[in-house]
Amino acid sequence: MMQAMTAKELEYVADSMSNEDLLMKQCSIAAASITNVQLQQACSHMVDVHTQHYSTLLNALQQHQAMAPTQPQS
Amino acid sequence: MLNQSTGHPALTDEDLASTILSDLKRVTREYATAATESVCPETRQMFTQLMNTTLTMQGELYTVMQQNNMYNASSPALKQEITKQLQQYQQTQQKTSQFIQQTQMANSQIPANPAGQMTTPAYQ
Repeated sequence: MMQAMTAKELEYVADSMSNEDLLMKQCSIAAASITNVQLQQACSHMVDVHTQHYSTLLNALQQHQAMAPTQPQS
Repeated sequence: MLNQSTGHPALTDEDLASTILSDLKRVTREYATAATESVCPETRQMFTQLMNTTLTMQGELYTVMQQNNMYNASSPALKQEITKQLQQYQQTQQKTSQFIQQTQMANSQIPANPAGQMTTPAYQ
């Protein structure tokens, strides 16, 4: 049985999604403008991984949404 | 350096890669912090996995940058410096080992528990 997410965990998940979002955009810009082929491939690959990370975090939020209390707990 | 298509100033390959590399380092640390501060085991596991994949990407990017001479690694430590630290920490190891032995000796002098049961620890 999964536990409810704490307020602190929620903050970390939200911050992490901001990080992943920024990295996705950065890597995509880099992949488009970098001339070195090896580096360009690394950046393209990283766009995919950061996209997956973002989905993982978003899914975690969706799963925890269902069990979260509606009233503050003592 | 000017962008070839727009003529605007553009960041070099090295600048772009360095920016991403430093962000990957920071995000790895943040995932480690998030994992240690997690209460829910599933959340901790998620942050741990995200930390590992981020660390892997950081290592891969570093390797590519190093192969393309875009990264100046720290210079090698001198033999005499290694010898100095080695001697110092061998002494520390010896002292700590003695400390642990003394602690265990003190523990074994505590009288047997009142119930009189044999409670020999598994490690003895």
